[in-house]
Amino acid sequence: MRCKLNSLFAVLAVIGLLVLPLSKALAEKPIVLGAPLAMAFLYGWTAEKGIKLAVEEINAAGGVKVGDQKRPFSVDVIDTRDLEPGVPVSEALLALEKLILEKKADFIVGGPVRSEAALAAMPLLSKHKKVSILTTGSLTPKYHALVAENPEKFKYCFRISGEAKWMVMGELIPCLEDIGKKFDLNRLIIMVQDVAHARAGGELLAKVMSEKGWQVMGDPLVFPTGTTDFSMGLLDAKKKNAQVMIIWMDMPESAILLKQWHDMKVPALPFGVIIAAAEQPGFWKATEGKGEYCLGNVVNAGNVPSEATPWTMKFVEAYKNKYGLEPEGYGASSSYMAVYALKDAIERAGTIDSDKVVDALKQIDIKGVYGRTRFDAKTNQVIPSLDPEEGAVGTVFQWQDGKRVVVFPPKIATGQILLPPWMKK
Amino acid sequence: MDIVIYGIVNSVTLALMALGFTLVYGVCRLPNFAHGSLYVLTGYITWILMNRVGLNYPLSMLGALVITGLIGAAMYQFILVRVRGMAISEIIASYAIGLAILEGLRWGGLKGGTFTLPPFIEGSVDLLGVSVDFQRLIVVAIGLALMALLWLFVTGTKLGLALKGMAQDERAAMTLGIDSDRMAVVSMAMGSVLAGIAALVLLPLGNIVVEAGYNVLIMAVAVCIVGGLGSWTGAILAAFVIGFAQILTIVLVGAHFQVVVALVAIIVTLILRPSGLFGQQKELEERV
Repeated sequence: MRCKLNSLFAVLAVIGLLVLPLSKALAEKPIVLGAPLAMAFLYGWTAEKGIKLAVEEINAAGGVKVGDQKRPFSVDVIDTRDLEPGVPVSEALLALEKLILEKKADFIVGGPVRSEAALAAMPLLSKHKKVSILTTGSLTPKYHALVAENPEKFKYCFRISGEAKWMVMGELIPCLEDIGKKFDLNRLIIMVQDVAHARAGGELLAKVMSEKGWQVMGDPLVFPTGTTDFSMGLLDAKKKNAQVMIIWMDMPESAILLKQWHDMKVPALPFGVIIAAAEQPGFWKATEGKGEYCLGNVVNAGNVPSEATPWTMKFVEAYKNKYGLEPEGYGASSSYMAVYALKDAIERAGTIDSDKVVDALKQIDIKGVYGRTRFDAKTNQVIPSLDPEEGAVGTVFQWQDGKRVVVFPPKIATGQILLPPWMKK
Repeated sequence: MDIVIYGIVNSVTLALMALGFTLVYGVCRLPNFAHGSLYVLTGYITWILMNRVGLNYPLSMLGALVITGLIGAAMYQFILVRVRGMAISEIIASYAIGLAILEGLRWGGLKGGTFTLPPFIEGSVDLLGVSVDFQRLIVVAIGLALMALLWLFVTGTKLGLALKGMAQDERAAMTLGIDSDRMAVVSMAMGSVLAGIAALVLLPLGNIVVEAGYNVLIMAVAVCIVGGLGSWTGAILAAFVIGFAQILTIVLVGAHFQVVVALVAIIVTLILRPSGLFGQQKELEERV
């Protein structure tokens, strides 16, 4: 009996020794991550899930080492509603300020999600000296251009996800050229949503592709946010014999465009540079397979299963275990990585002092979910690449038989691009 | 030809969106600003009945229409009756109900673009050289049939005549024994069911999103203002005017200007003929 009791005490002591450091970390004052996100939209809720998954993993492993303390992360999410039509930028700024002043956020991770709001938030972050890592929604190159122009003022602003210029020049155009060569296609029509990043991206794409010898069918067709009928644009594409249809829309109604494209059998391959509706795993069921052959860009690897790095599938599996589905799209992997990047920087800085964490973030070099993760010294923009050994890689996928198959960049591709049957010559 | 065909489709779509709103306003002078939210609500209820409860598509649609009709009736019976006759309070109360419904749906997790209803018939057909999907043809057929049925109901049934009487002169109708509040409940239920029918035929073209509630309300109000508040004939005519103007704008000017069309139509109507094409409310002031 006595022997059994001793064994029991021994087991309890071992458990206590294991749990004690963890509970001590959790007892320390948490490092508050403020996440201003547009929660009604994919780019908002995927980011929240990515952030919370990383925080949970880090806290379970004991927290963040700040000097000689182990402190847990805590997350405060606020809905900025900045992707909703008609919501002014000032709403997002108020939400951000609330996170800083009322919720006492130590760092900002995530948004604001709409480019216009993210740009407007930059002076606010400087004013409060809050380190912010942008992870979702905002693709405007102006963000990191402003950092380069005013390095001292905007030194707190980092972006760990992709940006429009690289997406177009570094990923989309090479991918389009591959498609052109492989299937002998060179007639392009561009459809964009009436928002700043989409209009600018569409115009840039039209210009560059014209210079590369493609026939671009007129100016980009601009659709207002909330459009529910794309018939006239699709008829235009059909009349002009367009062969590739570029779509740049973050509104959920872009699913309607693809349903109509399928029903009208428009002989043009849809390529969503940004197409939030088609990114989600539920898209296939929602369109009853009508979105098959649609190409989509999820900005960073890891938002669709692939073997970009050893960490990619670990992240995908962890996301699936926690939320019951694959990472849903743009914002998931980058938000997850932002938390790990912060952890790394805080631990190297040994403090949560903003200026010291900025210096540490600038030195970061880790192999993350979507490749080697480093920030450009002048712009604080994550360094992109087509090779995960060199930098952060993006992902272009195609819906094939109910699955999102990675088709670009070649280093991480898991399949080949296919044409819909009504396009085959 | 594509302008004609898609002009008709777009016009009937707008008419469908506006019929319920104009019915309620026509009968009980109540501007139901929860109209758009009832439209979205019907879509989500149908989706839930199909995908969560496991009912088949027709039963889900029927169930959703019954529930939406009851909600519309309850809205009047328990809330709007208290502010009846006070125009501003009616607008505020109905808009607040609409907001509560839409934001409640969002709060309940119904967000994103993955909620859809299947089309009644798959595929498309070449109509005079223009490709049109079957669902859009069904929209036109159901829209026109609904207009005809409403006309028959109003002119050929006792209840319809009572509603018409209320629309023409509420006090005179009451002297003939027509119960004003009962008719208002009936009109709210019918208006909600009409919003629901519009949702059931239009939503299979796209996806169910909360934001659609605001768009539908704006379009319904635009059609009713241009047509003349409370006038069914005016609403249908205005739907065709705005519908064709939108399609012409897309073709001749650019797709992103289509949202401006309805707003310009409202402004022009308010300047030139504040009572709308067939409205009677402000005729006296206009004459003065």
